[in-house]
Amino acid sequence: MADNSKLYKYSSSPHVKSPRTTKWIMINVCIALLPACIMGIIYFGGLAALILALALVSAIASEFVFLLICGKTFKEIVKQFDFTSCVTGLLIGMSIGTNYPLYAPVLGSIFAIIVVKMLFGGTGKNLVNPAVTDRIFIFMSFQTVVGKWVDPSGNLVTGATALAGILETGTLPTLSNLQLFLGSGLAGCIGETCKVALIAGAIYLAILGIIDLKYPVIYVAVTGLFTVALNGFNFAYFLPTILSGGLMLGALFMSTDYTTTPNTTLGNVIYFVALGLLTAGLRQATKMEVVSFAILLMNLIVPLIDKFVINKPFGNKKAKENK
Amino acid sequence: MSIRKGKNYLYGIHVPDQKHYSMDKPIEKMPAPKKVYISLSQHIGAPAIPVVNVGDHVIKGQLIGEASGTISANVFSSVCGTVTAIEDIVNGLGQKFKYVIIENDFSDQEMFFDNMSDFSPSSLIERIRLAGIVGLGGAGFPTAVKLSPKTPIDTLIINGAECEPYLNCDYRLMIERTDDIYKGIKYTAMALNINKIIIGIEANKPQAIKCFERFSDLDVVVLKKQYPMGSEKHLIYCTTGRKVPIGKMPFDVGCCVQNIKTMIACFEAIEQNKPLTEIVMTVSGNGINDAKNLKIALGTPLTDIVEYCGGEKENTIKLVAGGPMMGKALISLNNYARKTDSGLLLLTDDETSARKPTNCINCAVCAKNCPMRLMPMYIESYALAGDFKSAEKYGAMNCIECGSCAYNCPAKRSLVQSISYAKAKIKEMKQNGR
Repeated sequence: MADNSKLYKYSSSPHVKSPRTTKWIMINVCIALLPACIMGIIYFGGLAALILALALVSAIASEFVFLLICGKTFKEIVKQFDFTSCVTGLLIGMSIGTNYPLYAPVLGSIFAIIVVKMLFGGTGKNLVNPAVTDRIFIFMSFQTVVGKWVDPSGNLVTGATALAGILETGTLPTLSNLQLFLGSGLAGCIGETCKVALIAGAIYLAILGIIDLKYPVIYVAVTGLFTVALNGFNFAYFLPTILSGGLMLGALFMSTDYTTTPNTTLGNVIYFVALGLLTAGLRQATKMEVVSFAILLMNLIVPLIDKFVINKPFGNKKAKENK
Repeated sequence: MSIRKGKNYLYGIHVPDQKHYSMDKPIEKMPAPKKVYISLSQHIGAPAIPVVNVGDHVIKGQLIGEASGTISANVFSSVCGTVTAIEDIVNGLGQKFKYVIIENDFSDQEMFFDNMSDFSPSSLIERIRLAGIVGLGGAGFPTAVKLSPKTPIDTLIINGAECEPYLNCDYRLMIERTDDIYKGIKYTAMALNINKIIIGIEANKPQAIKCFERFSDLDVVVLKKQYPMGSEKHLIYCTTGRKVPIGKMPFDVGCCVQNIKTMIACFEAIEQNKPLTEIVMTVSGNGINDAKNLKIALGTPLTDIVEYCGGEKENTIKLVAGGPMMGKALISLNNYARKTDSGLLLLTDDETSARKPTNCINCAVCAKNCPMRLMPMYIESYALAGDFKSAEKYGAMNCIECGSCAYNCPAKRSLVQSISYAKAKIKEMKQNGR
């Protein structure tokens, strides 16, 4: 028998696999975040760029240091690096204002990566979204600067973001909806003011099939409508509500995180509707920006949703009838 | 005559079909090799019992292995020559089977059955049983058994979906031997005593659809190009709208699904009085120099097939019997053509993914794509944790191992492997009475 001694690779089927990997997904999420980052830098200047870079670098560094302490070699870490910490780092930088001390993004990244992600087992094992938890961590830790924002002209304004205005006084913002949409002249975090850039990024991800746009749309719509309902069905509140604060950033990039969303269509609908109700309700009750708190709370309920909402196997109905 | 579009089914995946390698290549008859190694276990069920001895002279079409029970199949010699050995061989799948080895003397004698005079269902089924015909799509379930179901059947569905990438043998047969397939279908319908015949063809084979349009008594259903359209349960749903209940078989909903190649085999057995001694196989992949659709004598060593197709390329790293989604990897070319082989793929490293699995990121792509609506990630984690009862609760036994989950998994987890492991363990548990 001629040349049949060559051994081939043996493995279970399927023998072809799609080129998509976790790394590919995460790189694309980073790309999707770029427009919002760039707009943030344009609006808030070089300091914003520095904050983004600090957050990004410290997030990646924390992961490397943690894995080095765990006994992995540098080469192994580079090989298995899947860019999830880049996404987290960028999101952390984006949810900080330029009035924060420069160690805030560094501290935030270390907390998010090491405490929230790595200690739970790394990518995919975290219970809650690292970036969301970090937002809350920053919110709690920097009470002196929270609530004060820098507007793009460099002036420190107190409690005068568009959202705070709606929440505290019930007055609609003086800025037009278009301004809110574009983020020009708007005070707030680096990455959350320019809604159009965030939406562009999300559409990019939706085209690649990485996120399903219908869920963030449900979230945003439910939040807007519930706020309208709470304000005596005054529809003038709808657009300012959904276009202000961290809602867009949270809905498009934080609530859609794979690890912390349910695994079924029905589960996702439940999750995002509840998220919308919770956001609108809490905003109204606490007069604060609570998107991250709502997401964190709902993240913790995800395992419960996943336990009770599971797909019915194909052909299941008839099996029951036959019984 | 009627052509209609099949029902949409939402779950499943899109795989690049890679059919271009051999789509336009007519089926070639490969000359019989010097030596054939005919396995006595080329079907589901009990292996056939050898009825020849070492040193016997056999001719093509002579019975060499007799079915040993209802779920078993006859095996015939595919060449004329002398039986040189009957022995256990470990094949490329790592399984040990009894093989009859026949040295070809290249004479062109052939043995046939007698002409059929009576075309009653029972005699048709008897002929199909006698000819050793099994489901040639890959399952290898004896066709005669499938044609004598316990519950009444009202629809015969012919599977022309060929949803596996690379494979073209069904497609080539559909356009080259349309009439023979049609006759085979008619005989099979006669055996089942029914009139309603549906042939489901995927939309990416317009030529094949055109070939079958002209038959007034066939209901041609154009299926969406989607994997796994050729799965029995999904084919039934998309062509008739019936859902096969969990744990039930197609005959429970009054359907009988047959493969294109099986129909040709039935035609040859009934009208040409030939037993099953040859199969049609697609040899494809980036690793083969000259991709072909071949008609091959059963038991031909794969080395001869690869040689006939111009040899393999240097960077071939994987050998697959069947399609790339559900086929089995072979460790070496030390294997021989069986009845159920519909493809031989030689895949190079850039075609076949060999990435190491990483953490599951809970993206639920597997659950979103699963055509059986299971949740592969849970079954996998239960299987890996050794909790097979929970794996069963999540429907592990309903898995058809189509590979849709593992194909799209971004973490490249071996979902199918874990699930089939769970299935084996659950079966074991049940046998031991828990």
